Amino acid sequence: MSYFIRKNICEGVAFSSITDDRFKIGRQSVNMIVPLSRETAAANALLSCVLSRSSKKYPDFTALSRKLDSLYGAALYPSVKKVGEYQFITIAASGLEDRFAFDGEAVSVELARLLSSIIFEPDFENGRFKDENVEQERRQLIENIDSEYNDKRFYAIKRCVENMCRNELYSIPREGSREDVEALTHEKLLSAWNNLLKNAQVEITMLGSTSPDKALEGFANYFGDMPRTPVSVDIRNIKPGEVRHITETEDLSQSKLVMGFRCYYSDDDKTALENSLMSAVLGGTPTSKLFANVREKQSLCYYCVSSVHNSKGIMIVDSGVETENIEKTETAVIEQLDLLKRGNITDDELISAKLAVKNSLMSSLDSLAAMQGYYVGGILRKNQLSPLEAAAAVDGISKERIVELAQKVELDTVFSLVGN
Amino acid sequence: MGFVKIENKRVNEHYYRMEHRSGLTIIVYPKRGFNSIYASIGTKFGSVYSKFVFNGREITVPDGTAHYLEHKLFESEDGDAFSKYAKTGASANAYTSFDMTCYLFSCTSKFRESLEILIDLMQTPYFTKETIAKEQGIISQEIKMYDDNPDWRVMMNLFKGMYHSHPINIDIAGTVESIAQITPEILYDCYNSYYNPHNMVLTVVGGADPAEVLEITDKKLIPGKNVDTRLIIPDEPYKVVKSYTEQTMPVAVPQFEIGFKEDSADKYATNKELVCTSVLMNSFVGEGSGLYRKLMDEKLINSGFGYEYLEGLGYRSVILSGESRNPQAAAEIINDAVRKLHKDGVGREDFENAKKAVYGKCIAGFDYKQSIASELMNSQFTGREIFEAADAAAEITLNDVNERLQYQLDADNSCLSVVKCEE
Repeated sequence: MSYFIRKNICEGVAFSSITDDRFKIGRQSVNMIVPLSRETAAANALLSCVLSRSSKKYPDFTALSRKLDSLYGAALYPSVKKVGEYQFITIAASGLEDRFAFDGEAVSVELARLLSSIIFEPDFENGRFKDENVEQERRQLIENIDSEYNDKRFYAIKRCVENMCRNELYSIPREGSREDVEALTHEKLLSAWNNLLKNAQVEITMLGSTSPDKALEGFANYFGDMPRTPVSVDIRNIKPGEVRHITETEDLSQSKLVMGFRCYYSDDDKTALENSLMSAVLGGTPTSKLFANVREKQSLCYYCVSSVHNSKGIMIVDSGVETENIEKTETAVIEQLDLLKRGNITDDELISAKLAVKNSLMSSLDSLAAMQGYYVGGILRKNQLSPLEAAAAVDGISKERIVELAQKVELDTVFSLVGN
Repeated sequence: MGFVKIENKRVNEHYYRMEHRSGLTIIVYPKRGFNSIYASIGTKFGSVYSKFVFNGREITVPDGTAHYLEHKLFESEDGDAFSKYAKTGASANAYTSFDMTCYLFSCTSKFRESLEILIDLMQTPYFTKETIAKEQGIISQEIKMYDDNPDWRVMMNLFKGMYHSHPINIDIAGTVESIAQITPEILYDCYNSYYNPHNMVLTVVGGADPAEVLEITDKKLIPGKNVDTRLIIPDEPYKVVKSYTEQTMPVAVPQFEIGFKEDSADKYATNKELVCTSVLMNSFVGEGSGLYRKLMDEKLINSGFGYEYLEGLGYRSVILSGESRNPQAAAEIINDAVRKLHKDGVGREDFENAKKAVYGKCIAGFDYKQSIASELMNSQFTGREIFEAADAAAEITLNDVNERLQYQLDADNSCLSVVKCEE
């Protein structure tokens, strides 16, 4: 069976473990959380790549990859994401549980050691990150940023959020901008590394069947008695002004419509859950108002989906449509939202949205990656509910509460990527 | 006949399989301690089933028919399946691939009700002119979404560049024009030919009890009729159609795929062949390989680079894909390395490392219900056994891999597909 332990290693560094013997692959992660800032976003993103592709012991990606292969195809995954106005810099590792190794080798302990050592013992040359590694990762990060444009749905949502939050930190791209990455110096990279170790809130997770003791000890040794001063930020509710319509054109078969709304923000986990349920009723399931009306009844699109960015208080509705149907679709979405605001929700709609949200919460317990994502994603909220507690709380959410939250939803920005 | 238990000590997993009297193959795969149950029904009928003989009559269907049928089967005379699932809370979906169509749900409660909905959905086709017309707008938008997707375009263009006549070169969803030709009669023909329990598999993975599954299927399943259906796969020459194909799209970084076409001998690959290919590819072009290093050093690939083995009835090819500022230069280096590989073979140290990595990945698959379900389905349709891959990976030798190499990666039979940026 599974059990949960959480320990503080030092100021702002916590180690959590879930011991669970159902899986054959264990999963560990180090999540470094800092306020989102234009000055450091790109440096942190590049740093996560540089750190996870080499170390003092394995000085380039070839050596490190070969080591990971020899650990039965273990993997390191660097990632950066925005959670509200924070940047989460994560390096995750996954690897085979020891009982499946050919000779019972201690794969998981070795992987934990590898994960901590790549963060604390990078491959320095003359007191800075090795030039060759930095340039290799810089080029790839720039290509990754550029290629976000290749995925038109992703790109359109990104453009909508950038425009909508243009005066807020949330408009900063999760990996910084291309220009920021190009301009990064060795000094900035080094200072980003020092800053993360000293000032980030650090959440370390270890999930799987291996005892977490050795990994915990390893991280505790590295952090030692490091003087640390983690910083926090304030996220506020924003009232939209007049709705802005922004249009870009491209040579595409299908146009993309993205509608950015403000919704009620609170740092309480319960409100996040209630907003998610509200969004599920509107456009989160195949029986939601948007699916049933915009897709099934009006045949306007293949997808028309709403989703809440709970850590920021915004809701995005997006769809792919014919150019001549952009306005019609926008009107149809507003109509469905208005019905919700007026309390026009059938019992069936509410019950099916609740069942769907509960199903997704309960299912997250069947995957270590989903458990890690759930736990870390909500770490900054107050009164964090476990997936089981959240599933139980869904039943208690009233129709009145959904309507109340829907009434706080206000359109801010409409972004259209117009095709042929 | 009841359930037969199939187990494997190495991966420490087991499942139950039976052929139901209706003709349906039922597989129940318990996952201890899991909250959710993942159930799927699949039929061996996908987009490559475009020409077949049904009870002596030859039928050719418009491109995109299998996928259209998938959408329309969700609807029956008494409403659509999505609204029925809404009452059970199951998360339902369906997909059509080249070789199969699969209907599925995942649930954490009301399993019985959801499974009944899934079985009903299979057994109550309802196609009229009106319901078909309604779907055209929706599927047209799905097609257009894929038309704008460079990953999809670069892959389909590659298949068209490699295959002369095999229907793998046809887009799964068809085109806006081809789906306009679909009629209720065509959908009923396909349904009667391939949606027959003898041609289908039910898999249930997670916290389910075989006895309960049997009780539900006993109650719900209508025995299949004996039908005589034969797929027609046109003869496919060994050689690729062309060595280069390109399309211009609004992308910021060009995308490429390079495919090495093989002789498929009209047979499915065995688990051992698949594992040999994985080990071969890992040592040849995996992240720890010399070739990967060279491509990186020359700034020709990034971390999105990868490889896969495309394999089905009448088609086999190794595919490498990625983003590159200069796909031609990347392809040239890859082709040179392929020629060198055929000369030198895979080395011992590379092999040992790759073997461990491939074995670890075989084991990892058993953590995910979805991956187990699709592997079970795939194995059933191709005559493979799901546990054999991990055993093969543990026992494979360097000699096996180098022998397999003789049939793969023919540098003179490859095609490069590029999606390039607008000028």
